[in-house]
Amino acid sequence: MFITDIRKEFYEVVANQRVALLVASDIDALCACKILQALFHCDQVQYTLVPVTGWQDLGTAFLEHKEQFQYFVLINCGANVDLLEMLQPDDDSVFFICDTHRPVDVVNVYNDTQIKLLIKQEDDLGVPSYDDIFRDEDDEEGGDSGNESEDGSEPSGKRRRFDEGAVERRIDRQRAKREWEARRREILFEYEQYEYHGTSAAVMLFELAWVLTKDTKDMLWWAIIGLTDQWVHDKITHMKYVTDIATMQRHVSRHNHRNEDEENSLSIDCMRISFEYDLRLTLYQHWSLYESICNSCYTTCIFKLWTLNGQKKLQEFLADMGLPLKQVRQKFNSMDMSIKENLKDVIEESSNKYGMKDIRIQTFGVHFGFKNRFLAIDMVHATAALLESTEKDESNSDNFIKALDSLSRGNLDRLHSGIDLAKKKLIAIQQTVASCICTNLILSQGPFLYCYLMEGTPDVKLFSRPMALTLLCKYLLKAFVHSARNKRCKLLPLIMAAPKDVEKGTVIVVGIPPESETSDKKNFFGRAFEKASESTSSRTLHDNFDTSIIELKTEDRSKFLDALITLLS
Amino acid sequence: MEALYEQNQTDVNEAKADGRAELIPSIKLRHCCLLRNQRCLTAYLYDRLLRIRALRWEYGSVLPANVRFHMCAEEVQWFTHYKKSLASFMRSLGGGEGLDITQDMKPPKSLYIEVRCLKDHGEFEIDDGTVILLKKNSQHFLPRWKCEQLIRQGVLEHVMS
Repeated sequence: MFITDIRKEFYEVVANQRVALLVASDIDALCACKILQALFHCDQVQYTLVPVTGWQDLGTAFLEHKEQFQYFVLINCGANVDLLEMLQPDDDSVFFICDTHRPVDVVNVYNDTQIKLLIKQEDDLGVPSYDDIFRDEDDEEGGDSGNESEDGSEPSGKRRRFDEGAVERRIDRQRAKREWEARRREILFEYEQYEYHGTSAAVMLFELAWVLTKDTKDMLWWAIIGLTDQWVHDKITHMKYVTDIATMQRHVSRHNHRNEDEENSLSIDCMRISFEYDLRLTLYQHWSLYESICNSCYTTCIFKLWTLNGQKKLQEFLADMGLPLKQVRQKFNSMDMSIKENLKDVIEESSNKYGMKDIRIQTFGVHFGFKNRFLAIDMVHATAALLESTEKDESNSDNFIKALDSLSRGNLDRLHSGIDLAKKKLIAIQQTVASCICTNLILSQGPFLYCYLMEGTPDVKLFSRPMALTLLCKYLLKAFVHSARNKRCKLLPLIMAAPKDVEKGTVIVVGIPPESETSDKKNFFGRAFEKASESTSSRTLHDNFDTSIIELKTEDRSKFLDALITLLS
Repeated sequence: MEALYEQNQTDVNEAKADGRAELIPSIKLRHCCLLRNQRCLTAYLYDRLLRIRALRWEYGSVLPANVRFHMCAEEVQWFTHYKKSLASFMRSLGGGEGLDITQDMKPPKSLYIEVRCLKDHGEFEIDDGTVILLKKNSQHFLPRWKCEQLIRQGVLEHVMS
């Protein structure tokens, strides 16, 4: 059931108890976890934090901890599946779910005792009404048996008449039941067809902190990072991002009004969050401007930097702005001050000429100490790179801990190592995109586009992780749309496969919706993958919390694809 | 050392019996060697003693079996005596009520601390009877006094944010 008063129904319930936190492995979940941890530290609520990467992990963690804990808080996992059936908990376990995955499973919505959803009901949910899906079986059977006992007590003459009446009524009832069931199946199919994301979990928990008036700038910054993660990984529409940014902006101004007091100004070491209408060049403040332009999705796709023509246009662009190549290629911090001062406006003016209307994006930046300035987008990329780093001997939970640490202000060296990893990841993505487009690796299979990364591709290990592969997928689709001539191909969704585990012989398959300006980011591949896998009995593992990402045995790849083609055409 | 001592003994007897004065420097040399070896051994034994004393502060009053395996019987006895004198000292503090000074080696900042588990340690029981499963890379928020032992042993790590 949905929680209306988050303070009374969630926080005050767990405040005196011990809680188990089961947190999924994405940046939004990490930020939400940090906010909740900070609140728990304030109020000395004992908790245990366990990272989970998929449904199996969730099941194991639950089994291990169910004896010791009564209250479980699930962050970014658990809303889109019938949780009670999956975990089989005891009757006194209570689950608080703060998840961005939609659609929320109907059983979770209508269970009153064990499942509490920390989700805003204004979020366009479209949950079917109770009567359309659930029906009390007792009324019907009571009616039947009542009629039959009546029939039994009547004498035989009247019995025939009554029998006919009873039989007719029973036939009517059965027909009504079949119709109801058919309608129910239709409603459920429509409801569960598309997968999408709702308000960020970090923003939800920040609002809890705000209601308790225990919010701090650190928590606000984490909420902003959580929201930016949803935008960077293309989980929410641009409209929703802008609306949520406006909400965050109100909180930022509320926290910032202390800065303006001339007499008691804050020390330079204090954290300052500011609204920035900044450039969409990833990591440009921690890299050189040239590298950043060459490795950001937006600029690469519009200039088409994988072609010679594109390179020339880039040189023209830089010349147009009057930026000398020597300046542009050195580290951003060492660029001439005179160039840095008006950089954003100069770039915006020039980019309008070259067709890049949205080179600037609304975001937030943080500033503490003399050297440390970070944009929310930079932090998201750094933490994502740490979370999915493919170094040897590092398990998923090691990476989770490193990424969680990098979000604290005291662990700047972690953050800087994350930024370095993110740079490598971005370069790898751009090179892979360039090679895929130049060698025409993207094939149109009819209802969708398909691309397979061969095993020998450089940096293919990086793409065995779901978030990195999804990012590559989105960049590739954008690049393809910009470079393809066929108008029809531009409206197709993309499925991408990359080798995941060479010893076990599996590939990871990701499906994303078609690229368009007004896309509502609704993904139907979750259900499609399930159906295709069933119909061909391929060996698949639907372990990820995002149903559009699955693991598949390499040998079953072709029959799986064929099934998908027949399913979707 | 025994070999040196035997040789010295024979030489001394010889010197006394035959009056051979030229053996005296070699006797003196061997004697100096013996004294030096004795000093080394006592330094080693004293160092072991200091470490055993530190063990009491690190592990508490019950030593794990693998540590006790490496101690000889006299050292175990010494340890028991040390334990007893420390316990009677602690009992005498705080106006007859007793104070456990092996807790809180650094001034505590808060009642509960956040710890991260560095290795799988299995189940761990805290004061109110609840059991916590310490699995690698899980984080917990626990009362400080229960965690100190495990932090010293290296199973848990204090996370400062």
